[in-house]
Amino acid sequence: MIAVDVGGTFTDVVALRDGVIRTAKVSTDATEVYQPVLDGAEELGVAESSVFNHASTHGLNAVITRKLPKIGFLATEGHRDILDMGRVWRPAHAILDPHWRRSFGDAASPLVPRYLRRGIRERVMADGNVLIELDETQAREELEVLRRCGVTGLAICLINAYVNRTHEERLRGLVRELLGDVPCSISSEVSPLAKEYARASTTVIDTFMKLIYSDYTQKLEKGLADLGFTGQLNFADCAATLVPSNRAMEQPFRIVFSGPAAGTVACAHFGGMIGEQDLLCADIGGTSCDISVVTGGAPFVETTFELEHDLVVNALANDISSIGAGGGSLVAVGTTGEIQVGPGSAGADPGPACYGRGGTQPTTTDTCLLTGIIDADSFAGGKLTLDPVLSREAFESLDTEFSLAQRVRYAYEMAVNNIAEGVFNVAIKNGVDPRDYSLIAYGAAGPMLLPAVLDVVGVKQVIVPPYPGLFSALGLLSTDQVFTANRSAYTILMPEAAPRIDALFTEMEDQLRELVPTGTEVSFERTFDAHILGQSWETPFVPVPGGSIDAEAISTMIATFHDTYENRSGNRFDAAPVEGVTFRTRAVLTTEKVRYAEVPRRDGAPLRPARWATLRYLGDISDGGDGEQRAAVYDRGDLHAGDTFFGPAIVNESLSTTHVGTGQHVTVGRFGELIIRKKGGRP
Amino acid sequence: MTDTASPTVLRSDPTRLRDLGENEFRRRYDCDRFTASVITNRLRYAVEHMSTGFLREAFSPIIRDWYDFACTISGPPEAGYPMAVVSNSLVVFLGTMADAVRNSVEEYRPENLAPGDILICNDPYRAGTHVNDVCFIQPVFVDERLVSFVNLRAHQLDMGGTVPGGFSGTKTNVYENGLVIPPMLLYRKGEPVRSTFSLIFDNSRFGGMLLPDFKSIHQQLQLGDRLVRQNIERYGLPAYLGSLRYACDTSAECMRDAIALIPDGDYVGTGLIDADGLDDSVDYSVKVTLRKRGHDIEADLSGTSEQARTCINAGTLDSKTALGVALTMLLDPDAPFTSGTWRNIDLVTPPGSLLSSLPPEGGIFLFWESTGALVSAIFAALNPVLGANAIAGDYGSTNTHNAHGVAADGTPWANIAQCGGEHGPWGATKEGDGDSYTVLFTLNNLDPATEAIEHDCPVVILRKEHAIDTGGPGTHRGGAANLKDTLWLTDAQHYSSPFRTKAPSGVGANGGAPGPCGGVWVFPPGEADRAGLIGTNDDVYAAAEPVAGVLDPDSHVLDPEHGKYHYFARRPVWPTAAGAVFRYITNGGGGWGPPSERDPERVLRDVRDEYISIEAAARDYGVVVNGDAHFDPEGLFIDEAATRALRAARSGDARVMAPRSASGAGR
Repeated sequence: MIAVDVGGTFTDVVALRDGVIRTAKVSTDATEVYQPVLDGAEELGVAESSVFNHASTHGLNAVITRKLPKIGFLATEGHRDILDMGRVWRPAHAILDPHWRRSFGDAASPLVPRYLRRGIRERVMADGNVLIELDETQAREELEVLRRCGVTGLAICLINAYVNRTHEERLRGLVRELLGDVPCSISSEVSPLAKEYARASTTVIDTFMKLIYSDYTQKLEKGLADLGFTGQLNFADCAATLVPSNRAMEQPFRIVFSGPAAGTVACAHFGGMIGEQDLLCADIGGTSCDISVVTGGAPFVETTFELEHDLVVNALANDISSIGAGGGSLVAVGTTGEIQVGPGSAGADPGPACYGRGGTQPTTTDTCLLTGIIDADSFAGGKLTLDPVLSREAFESLDTEFSLAQRVRYAYEMAVNNIAEGVFNVAIKNGVDPRDYSLIAYGAAGPMLLPAVLDVVGVKQVIVPPYPGLFSALGLLSTDQVFTANRSAYTILMPEAAPRIDALFTEMEDQLRELVPTGTEVSFERTFDAHILGQSWETPFVPVPGGSIDAEAISTMIATFHDTYENRSGNRFDAAPVEGVTFRTRAVLTTEKVRYAEVPRRDGAPLRPARWATLRYLGDISDGGDGEQRAAVYDRGDLHAGDTFFGPAIVNESLSTTHVGTGQHVTVGRFGELIIRKKGGRP
Repeated sequence: MTDTASPTVLRSDPTRLRDLGENEFRRRYDCDRFTASVITNRLRYAVEHMSTGFLREAFSPIIRDWYDFACTISGPPEAGYPMAVVSNSLVVFLGTMADAVRNSVEEYRPENLAPGDILICNDPYRAGTHVNDVCFIQPVFVDERLVSFVNLRAHQLDMGGTVPGGFSGTKTNVYENGLVIPPMLLYRKGEPVRSTFSLIFDNSRFGGMLLPDFKSIHQQLQLGDRLVRQNIERYGLPAYLGSLRYACDTSAECMRDAIALIPDGDYVGTGLIDADGLDDSVDYSVKVTLRKRGHDIEADLSGTSEQARTCINAGTLDSKTALGVALTMLLDPDAPFTSGTWRNIDLVTPPGSLLSSLPPEGGIFLFWESTGALVSAIFAALNPVLGANAIAGDYGSTNTHNAHGVAADGTPWANIAQCGGEHGPWGATKEGDGDSYTVLFTLNNLDPATEAIEHDCPVVILRKEHAIDTGGPGTHRGGAANLKDTLWLTDAQHYSSPFRTKAPSGVGANGGAPGPCGGVWVFPPGEADRAGLIGTNDDVYAAAEPVAGVLDPDSHVLDPEHGKYHYFARRPVWPTAAGAVFRYITNGGGGWGPPSERDPERVLRDVRDEYISIEAAARDYGVVVNGDAHFDPEGLFIDEAATRALRAARSGDARVMAPRSASGAGR
């Protein structure tokens, strides 16, 4: 098994063979994205592998940077501006800002400029009846304009097509006739859900991803074949479930944002191995901290997510909150004199001041370097030498009365606090008491900053898993292959509705059965999204019984809905009718997953630090003191299961550094994981 | 205006927050700087969590699809009820919430409150906004001491009164307006107070929808209460209270600094409301005189019309909010909005005006129409001295449309604030063109999906698109007006409330031109052409009945110079037969900077995107474009020689030579 996680800066490759995990980290190539993937795959011996799992953020990056192909968008006449309007509202920070513009609007950077959005004369009503027949003559004229403009793909979203798709299908036929075999996505197939804006934006993203990934996939498949790979290529989707590449290319909007989701799944899987079912997962890289929740061993999944504010994609996605807090987060002085950290980032270029690439503003990496948490000579496996003098100069350039010790100390505390707030808010948002949850610390900068959160958020414990710097990629070897289908059909749950709902599930399951290779072990999971009649936001993923849907199954569905609703909202409205909105089926194929090797227990000599280091600014800095601390330094490879030690301490490994604070206590677990608790807490 | 958030800080205190030493900071705020920021942030998240929870569980369409509610946290009585944090939602709510909490609790008396109580009030004169907006106030107790309030104000679909849903400019006094709830308990120590529930449900429509929303609000307030108490448990009460003061002081200092940047002087601006809901014999003007001296500014509303005869009035608290909103937007959009915002801002208002109406005659319902005019007037007053920082105006009125009828199966239906001109464009600023189709500066909410509206009501939204040549010309163009056509499938009764069609609300900025005014029409059944849509050319309007706007009497086309004003409430209710179509065109957003300085390439792009016509490109921008925008958009080209000649002739006409644009006019 091989897995590749293509990030903005690095491409991470992990391989599992004969129970041994091997890893490689190569730089991402922004133009020939597939090349480093192949390099990494070759390095780890892809020819021997039967499965190649792939996640990437490069589709997302293309959207965010607007490096997008030229496509056309067909809408019902009178509605071509739905893509410009979005859902209108502005974010909290812009509530009184008259300069604010929606990022994807015509006044800023539209995904499809207005002249390539064409109105087609036709109209379907809410009940599926046709008010205006499709005017094929007019449609041909409009398509002819787009052909002359040289569009390379088409997205089609007609009003109410989620109840009647005939006009969209006929339009796609006309596209084939007039523009040939260009990628063409229709909303009733991509995402047959009510509410036109989200369906339209999802369909547009789907068309872009078809264009971006089809060429990439071909090159990747050819390259892998040349390397002797004969196994199956899978793409991870936004919920980090695996989809065979040919199926993924049919609905590529699902893979637009797959990397971070894999991290959550890695946590869930590893948590299962060590008996921890309730997890807060935090992945800290250079620019952001991605936080998600696993409850009872399962990631929290949302039915939609946003690529930018209000740029919605209707894809099942692990619910991940991203805050601007990473190694590159900039340190600044705010208007009322407080030290601020983030959300701005120095990025990879120029990067932190200590990189010596021209950055003059201090970053969190500079903070950690000056405190001594990071060792200047062994950063990133020794590939990069850091210069603390530049960090110091950057801190001294801040316009504030604080002493250097105060500046560094406050920058450190603010960085930790921002992350702690993010973790706390994700917990509250999901109705989770952090005291019952373990915080998994991963990503290159995670183990360096997250243990300090233990004291602020009050989580049960912080766990640094094996391979924290490549943990997301390991998620791609920790997940199942899943096929999904869903249908929107506003249906009030009562006995008379049983045949209609039964037909929906039968149709979806028949469709999924065709996709599953014969002889594969498969289980179907049914859920539905519903609301109490009169609400318009749904309660998603309410379980549905298997077998044929009859009156009894309906009453089970109603009862389950009320229980689920009460559990999530605190209220119960038994007397109110329940309206089903979206019905969902998943076919789950049991898939082989990564096993982590156990670390032997120590026998003989007791654990001793590899050396001692001096940390600064983290101790008492009152009265002009430097806040020095003496910290034990360990190499992670020297640790054995059952080892224990106290902070302040540093644990080094090739791609990351763990900082254990004063008053914290570490136990090394069965798989070498570092379990960090408050001193005096349960050992 | 006084806020008593920070009794230890004198108004003239020159020490800036950033210059406070550690000890001094701790003396003032009972915590260090770091803790103060942390607690404030945590409280901001708390109100967001309360809001998200309520949005997702709500039953009222106006909550779940419009986001017509807001949450805040205030401090205790002895600190003057400082409102330290507000949620992201309707701006008009946020300013009045501080006063609503103070006035309600002072009247009920703090000593009569107990843990688990929820106090409610909806009286516009005590609490601001209108009777449908009910304030839910939960006191937070720690060790039996009243230390804070978590608050949620939410629009209820109905509060009784003569018009279902309430949205109408025709009601003439508070009795017609709806049920007035003085401060009273909805929950007592966690238990519902039956008599209060009964009072509301016996006097309002749609009680079945209100009840579950009340229960959901109760849950959100419990969440807010829990989060506040967690903070106090963790950081201590003194640090918590100090942080509330710090948050308000931060706003006050930001606004004080921003005000100082305006040159000292007196600045006058006006805004116009077309008519009230009685007849069109009176139009209403808003007048504001801003007197700026040093770090202080006074807004004097003398000269504003007397209170209207119907409920288009606003209360003093609403005017105070609009003043804070307009000055924050113009002067420092990053300043946090708290009760400290007004510390250096004074409001002078004569009693009984359109912006300070009094009961019982001065009914208040469509208050945001009048306070929107105040926002326009403040923009118009200050824009001339703000130069590049001037902000062009928005579409001015929500042009609210309400309709009801009976479906074929006999079920009554109602459609509220979804099918008129509720959304429209913003003006341009130095940062760029205005967005088209957004929401008034003083609001912030969701736009209901066409498919959700059509699923709920027998209506087909035939068009919802940007109208050509409606963005105010400028170096940066105003957003385009929204054109909305709605086909009503059953017989129906309609209330239409467009208030700003006589004078542009989308005022220009920094030499930009205003956006044009819009109008409302109704097309009788059968007017939709054979293909089912009504065209957008001028020739279609003759067949329509004008509802509102300054229109040519014969062709019914918008004609600001020679047209005649058509009064929307000459029929209080507009009855239509099945198959009729309403059309709304909102006002356009204002332009920023001289149109002659817009880069011709951007003018060409606007022609290509059908934001402006070839004719308007020449007329408004002096750019000569050739080709066919619709059928050959990429074949359009600029006639550079003709453009140079046209722009040169224009600038020669002008008394003052405009500076050449950086692009060299296409050379």
